[in-house]
Amino acid sequence: MITRFITEIQTAFNPFSPRAKSARLFLSFLPPNARSSGMNITTQLFPRSSTAPSKLYVKFKDGKELNLDADNMAIKNIVEEVDRHSRILQKADDLAAA
Amino acid sequence: MPPRIRCTASARGLTAAVKPSRPSAALLRPSAPAVTSAARQYATVSSRGLRLPDDYVPPTKPPTARPSETRKAQLLRTYTSLLRSTPLVLLFQHNNLTAEEWVAVRRELKAAITAVPTTGDESAALASKAQLHVLRTSIFNVALKLVEFYDPSKVEPTSAPTVTGKRVKVVYNHDLSRAAWKAVREVTMGETPIPETSTYAQLSPLLVGPVAAFTLPAVSPQHLAAALSVLSPSPPGFPAPTRKKNPGYYEPITQSGLQKLLLIGARIEDKAFDMDGVKWVGGIENGLEGLRAQLVHMLQSAGMGLTSTLEGAGKALWLTMESRRSVLEEEQNGGKTEEKKADA
Repeated sequence: MITRFITEIQTAFNPFSPRAKSARLFLSFLPPNARSSGMNITTQLFPRSSTAPSKLYVKFKDGKELNLDADNMAIKNIVEEVDRHSRILQKADDLAAA
Repeated sequence: MPPRIRCTASARGLTAAVKPSRPSAALLRPSAPAVTSAARQYATVSSRGLRLPDDYVPPTKPPTARPSETRKAQLLRTYTSLLRSTPLVLLFQHNNLTAEEWVAVRRELKAAITAVPTTGDESAALASKAQLHVLRTSIFNVALKLVEFYDPSKVEPTSAPTVTGKRVKVVYNHDLSRAAWKAVREVTMGETPIPETSTYAQLSPLLVGPVAAFTLPAVSPQHLAAALSVLSPSPPGFPAPTRKKNPGYYEPITQSGLQKLLLIGARIEDKAFDMDGVKWVGGIENGLEGLRAQLVHMLQSAGMGLTSTLEGAGKALWLTMESRRSVLEEEQNGGKTEEKKADA
């Protein structure tokens, strides 16, 4: 996953629900230096009895915001969605550098 | 082709081929028996007068180079024994902590737990045995199933041959045994779903992705509170250690490590708890001693109340009678004085 262009991530999930899997896996995909390199990560945990849907909000460097349906999307689809925009940014970045 | 030598592995393979548990399609073909018998003869002829050492290792099955502690079988045994002996397990999700961060987090945790005021040798030993391990999630999942659904004491003994050919009764009830596998499969792979009330069904959604466990060998709310205040501080109940007392906690490495640890749930006394439940257990004041004191106080006050209620009726009766008597006495005295006055 390309995480260089992500500036903010907000997640909220109930860990006791099997649907929280993709949100949790998304968090585990972030690199170890994510926070120190300026990414803003906030995680909220719902209590066990809660049935609120999991939330995954991603904001990119260019201001684009993604609200992903972490309840029904598998982790592969989420990574695909995020990377789709990241690749555009990467292309622009490479062209600017060259 | 290397010379074929009879060894335990190939012999096992042969017997399996010669005596299958059920006739396979390959063996029913006319050419199949000839092939197996030829193979058997070949093996016996070449091995005449040749005996392999007992520690012979077949070249196709070299011993594993993995250290024994990280082998799956050993890990499973470790986890089952951990789950059977440890009443308090906190489960954390760890998102790519570096080795440095782990060291820092463990150091702070140890410092906080050893600082808990101890009441005896037991609690001192408890602090030294508290640990934060990274788990192999899928194997821990299997271990949880085993611990909940498999009772080793209920396995029937089977008869097995000894070296001399005598058959003896033995019980194979270890965690890797066929009985364990069957017991777990009956519950988890059966037609009925896993019962919702079981701890495994409640905890299994947690076992996804990277999971670490904090284990304490006894339920001690003070130690739990100390661990919580380091690992997932929440200001009113479990405040983080102060900067003055504990500067190491505020080092950037420690802080970035702690930010990546998420408390997702717990298994306390074989029951599943969420974050609020863990806080409730950690918030029990003065630990088990405190709970006992509260219970004793409650029972004592209940007894006092009961005696005072029972006494109440008698007391009220006595009071009314007493007041009535005093009134009557006064009346009598009053009458006497009036009579005296009349005489005079």
